[in-house]
Amino acid sequence: MKKLLSFIMSLILLIGVAGCTSTNEIVFADAQWDSIQFHNAVAGFIAVEAFDYDKWSELSATTPATHLGLINGEIDVHMEEWADNIPSYADDLEAGEFVELGINFDDNFQGLYVPRYVIEGDAERGIEPMAPNLKTVEDLKDYAHIFPDEDDSSKGRIYGAIPGWEVDEILRRKVEYMKLDEQFVYFNPGSEFGLASAFTNAYENGEAIVGYYWEPTWLMGLYDFVLLEDEPFTTVEDFQAGKTEMPPMDIRIAVSNDFYERDPEFSEFLSNYYSTSALISEALAYTQEHNVDFTETAKWYLRENDSMIDEWLDSERAQMVRDALAR
Amino acid sequence: MRWITEFPYSFNFDNKIIDDFVRSFRDTFAVIFDGIGDGLNAMLRGVQSFLNFIPWWVYIIAIFLIFWKQQKKLVSGILYAVLLSLIGFFGLWDLMVITMSIVITSVIISLILGFPIGILVSKSDRLDKIIRPVLDMMQTMPIFVYLIPAVIFFGLGRVPAVIATTIYAIVPLIRLTNHGIRMVDEEVVEAAKAFGSTGMQTLFKVQIPQALPTIMTGVNQTLMMAMSMVVTTSMIGVGGLGIEVLRGVQRIEIGRGLIAGSAVVILAIILDRITQGLMKKEEGVTNE
Repeated sequence: MKKLLSFIMSLILLIGVAGCTSTNEIVFADAQWDSIQFHNAVAGFIAVEAFDYDKWSELSATTPATHLGLINGEIDVHMEEWADNIPSYADDLEAGEFVELGINFDDNFQGLYVPRYVIEGDAERGIEPMAPNLKTVEDLKDYAHIFPDEDDSSKGRIYGAIPGWEVDEILRRKVEYMKLDEQFVYFNPGSEFGLASAFTNAYENGEAIVGYYWEPTWLMGLYDFVLLEDEPFTTVEDFQAGKTEMPPMDIRIAVSNDFYERDPEFSEFLSNYYSTSALISEALAYTQEHNVDFTETAKWYLRENDSMIDEWLDSERAQMVRDALAR
Repeated sequence: MRWITEFPYSFNFDNKIIDDFVRSFRDTFAVIFDGIGDGLNAMLRGVQSFLNFIPWWVYIIAIFLIFWKQQKKLVSGILYAVLLSLIGFFGLWDLMVITMSIVITSVIISLILGFPIGILVSKSDRLDKIIRPVLDMMQTMPIFVYLIPAVIFFGLGRVPAVIATTIYAIVPLIRLTNHGIRMVDEEVVEAAKAFGSTGMQTLFKVQIPQALPTIMTGVNQTLMMAMSMVVTTSMIGVGGLGIEVLRGVQRIEIGRGLIAGSAVVILAIILDRITQGLMKKEEGVTNE
């Protein structure tokens, strides 16, 4: 019995050792939302097909944890650094803790959203318009009663941003500055999951909801929401005081110091890399509709946007990517 | 040879089936869920307005007196009063009251449900066999998994938080009530029956009093487990001390997280000591 057991154990060990060949791997940050996973798949596909990497992988964690991972060198590439949501970002960049390579996309939106049927109604679902004249954040004052707060029914509820995000404080100031707090409760949804489930539930039940959200996200791609208009952006100070609309953020691509030294060629490709909100939304919708993984989506995306490959890579590498896509 | 290192087959299960089932379940029984939600909301409001009604200094004096009397030392009374007022000094008093209202409501519901279930289970071996794996599952299932249906059924806020906390925290109460009653000396029960007690009389006058120290341990553990859910439930819009911890985590602010975390610890220690004190009292009564 003992002999048999030790034989089995050694067999398992042997197989384990044989399976452990050294691989040349590139690690992407996965801050656990769709668009970053999509970008990882695109860049990962190119890393494997056109550069000397055997495989690409993702390290999943929260936004601040992936940022720390990049600084520590556990993560090689971060495709979407939402700089404005990471308080220490500017300091870390200045201190040379990591290398910023460029902007991935900068045409995103954020602010207070309502479902389109709240304003226009939805004949198909039998929903009457609840707030036909709702266009701006200011207009919300007339409609507090259609967004009732569960705890305090005399007031409306505005779903706030994720606690800890910079925009949470700004939005709170905005509600005070615009005197919306007289009619509304600024409700803390607690987490991204909480906010998303509140939006999903309200939308599927055809109820009115107003709250913070941002694009591109799968939720905004899947459901029809309208961004409420606000005072045009003037200065950063006014924006921080909550007086103006929220300007689009620059979503940046960054690599660890270590990786930057190790692979200047891939870093060069990343600094050429770019996308737009519209393209990302299209790709996310493709994923959702065809029920495929992001690797499949990445291939589809590269075929659809063939000219980008030449902008990102030299002709030799571009050909390698095209060959891989043709396979 | 790949089948040696890799699992050879997986079928494409469509998770949507489960999603749709849960959603339609919610729609079918919407009335019931709304009723439960409203009831819990009313209860929460009651608990919270009671806790808010008491001024802060009454809490501190009460804690001072309780621990002075319980531990028979002036120093420990002062120590716990100072610890509690530290929460206030860090500006976390209001958040603490919110947290306390969630924890206390969850514990009350756990008592209302868990105590009778524990008694029932102690009376039937078959029920015991059925409920044991259920309890194991309730405790080991990652908490986020039932946060999702809780939010789908009851929306964001305090109601799903109380439900999730109760599911998690009720387990030790059921287990230890069951255990305590089963551990009561066979001969004592027989003696009671010999004197002509009915089953109910034996249960309420002999078995439960005998089992009380064990049951109180269950209450204490239930309370502690409810406290451990504070941060998790903050993720579904409860607020309270947990939200400060989440903010600290989200912004990598060690200080903010540590202070809010310490406030949770202080609250937990105070609640733990109070219930343990009650436990000792019970033991003292039964040993006499």
